[in-house]
Amino acid sequence: MRSDFRGIARPLGIGAIALVVEYLLLGTQQFANALTLGAIYALIALGYTMVYGIVELINFAHGDVFMVGSFLAMWIMTTIFGLTGPVTNLLNLVALLAIVMLATMIGMGFLGMFIERVAYRPLRHAPRLAPLITAIGVSFILQNIIASLFGPSPVNFPQIVPPDKFVILGSRIAYLNLFIVIMAVVLMIVLQLFVGRTRLGRAMRSTAQDREAAELMGVDINQTIAITFFIAAALAGAGGMVQGLYAGSIKFDLGFFVGLKAFTAAVLGGIGNTTGAAIGGFVIAFVEVYATVLGYTQWSEVAVFTVLILVLVFRPSGLLGQQLGERA
Amino acid sequence: MKYGKLGALGAVAVLVLSACSGSATTPPAASTGAGASSAPVATPGGSVGAVTPGAWCVGGTVKIGTELPMSGGETANGVPTANGVKLLISQVNAAGGVLGCKLDINVQDDALNGVHDPQTGAKNMQTLVADASVIGVVGPFNSGVAKAEIPISNGAGLLMCSPANTNNGVTQPPEGDTYRTAHPDKISYIRTASPDSIQGPSAADYLYKDLGKTSVYVIDDTETFGVGVGDSFVAEFKKLGGTVVKRDSAPKSTTDYTPLFTAAAALNPQGVYLAGTTPTGMGLALKQGRTVAGLETIPFVGPDGVADLGPGGTQGATITIAGAAAANVYGTVGSAHDLTDNTFVPAYTAMFGGAPGAYSSAAYACAQIIVASLTKAAATATDLASAREGVRANAVNSANTFTTALGSLAFDKYGDNVHPFISFYKTDMTLAGGKGDWTFVKQESFTDPNATP
Repeated sequence: MRSDFRGIARPLGIGAIALVVEYLLLGTQQFANALTLGAIYALIALGYTMVYGIVELINFAHGDVFMVGSFLAMWIMTTIFGLTGPVTNLLNLVALLAIVMLATMIGMGFLGMFIERVAYRPLRHAPRLAPLITAIGVSFILQNIIASLFGPSPVNFPQIVPPDKFVILGSRIAYLNLFIVIMAVVLMIVLQLFVGRTRLGRAMRSTAQDREAAELMGVDINQTIAITFFIAAALAGAGGMVQGLYAGSIKFDLGFFVGLKAFTAAVLGGIGNTTGAAIGGFVIAFVEVYATVLGYTQWSEVAVFTVLILVLVFRPSGLLGQQLGERA
Repeated sequence: MKYGKLGALGAVAVLVLSACSGSATTPPAASTGAGASSAPVATPGGSVGAVTPGAWCVGGTVKIGTELPMSGGETANGVPTANGVKLLISQVNAAGGVLGCKLDINVQDDALNGVHDPQTGAKNMQTLVADASVIGVVGPFNSGVAKAEIPISNGAGLLMCSPANTNNGVTQPPEGDTYRTAHPDKISYIRTASPDSIQGPSAADYLYKDLGKTSVYVIDDTETFGVGVGDSFVAEFKKLGGTVVKRDSAPKSTTDYTPLFTAAAALNPQGVYLAGTTPTGMGLALKQGRTVAGLETIPFVGPDGVADLGPGGTQGATITIAGAAAANVYGTVGSAHDLTDNTFVPAYTAMFGGAPGAYSSAAYACAQIIVASLTKAAATATDLASAREGVRANAVNSANTFTTALGSLAFDKYGDNVHPFISFYKTDMTLAGGKGDWTFVKQESFTDPNATP
């Protein structure tokens, strides 16, 4: 995982240029939509990329972890807090959002660790195909557990953020969009600081670079990998919660397509690179929204995957990935 | 029950003949059991004592199949529709059955993961064809499912009566012909609902004339039904002089409709037409579309896939999914609201404890058609296979008229209802204890969609 602050100027430059181009093409209103969607994709893409970076596993269950996160947040809101409609008191609203998000992230983090412990760790030294298959199995298990608990039809997600809008640059944007983008950016900065500046972060980076050498230096590999899964799932949980707030209804198979797009974002950004995953998320959202603006909604998925193919043809390691030869 | 009495007379004639032929051999025409019985005078409406049914009634029971989406997001569609069939079966059995033959039901569910699925429907149709005691099928609910099933039922000669299919191509040539290539001369499918060529334009007329809106945004779900009804809506709305500001197609995998509605809102539509069904994304589209600036209060209009008539709180119903966004939503249903048979609604409510769904009465009518056709076919039926074929032949015969809860029904050579209805509904969020429900606005009747203009 190459995500320290050295050499971050280039990705930030790429990101800034991308944002300006996006804004000019989309206009304020659709730019806000694309940023919101991008924030959700980025939160999920980070999980794909972190897990790949450290154990070289494409965790296909990650999209479903995101989906479970949205159901967990919904359950906490409705069953524990009894929320159904908007919360108008700003202080209460902020407190509730913080508590629900924290609880969801912690809950999902433990689910991520549990999945790693039972489904991936026993297969760590098996051929690469084996954990890939168990990942698909975990994906089905999560979907079916949710479908049997909450039913296969769409489930309402309480809209606790009032639908109020503010005016900026002549467009009316919902406060919810602002909240989602700010929250995602804050989580990403916290993640960068954690990976770049803490002991555990250093352990994660060293494990990603060379597991055996890290182990010889006294890094607890099992613990480090478990923590990586915890963080990845916690971020997906946060993404699931904001997806619920944004869409207003959630469904047990929600994770599949969103997960696929987030995975695309991770590959696009350079899998294993956290900054790349974040930028990839926003690029994918931009392509999707731009296809919609041009009137090619039916083709938005085609556009997304076309971009992926083009990037892989001309830059096989992704936008920010490094040429690592065989191992990448 | 015109044919009920005729059928009974026919059955008497057969029984008398078979009784005269003696019982030394086992005649294929009628069982010895039937020959030994006293002359039956049973009709679906009333009966006398114990009547021993004909040979076609193997084991004393035949089945009506239902092939509808029953689970998940489709619950509000399929369950009340199947209940219409269950109601008729219980009434017929309480009155002694069809010529002494009891009715049973074979329920199939074509919802896969909570959404109707054509392949599941085709598999179910094969199951129903393989169940020899099924003499007719009520269903399916969705046009896309019908297109996967009709080739199977046509090949097997099993009658399907759909209470809700509306896509024109299901029956009408040239597309309709491609589904009945096995037996082009023996159609196996009839439907009571108005086709999209009537439903779409009715919604356009309503939005333009009744609600006075001259510009509209149209979004469909890319499915057979959604695209068809959307196209016919657009054609009529333009013909009236209205403007279609934008037309989009979004597949059911769409998780965010906001960018679509944001782009449309910039063109200031006065109304939105949701061409599709709630389980295939129109519920989420309604919910998210309402949050976009400029679209908060304008009317959203949908076809019967949106106007499921399920009150707020029903699993998967439009109002349940959209919540407060369901205010000011209008919908069309391809069936009559005011029934000629005023005993249907009380009987339904007494049996199931709730109001009928949009297509409960039509499913009841389909079952009535199957029963009337069976009564008539019983005159010549010798076994289950000939009973099944007799039901099909009588039901699709365009010379026949059936007395049903929907009124007098007849079908043209393609299986379309010659006197279709459209009912208009709107949402009222004060109903159902504040959860919202649909209220009836008006209904209109139309002429045969295939009549030469």
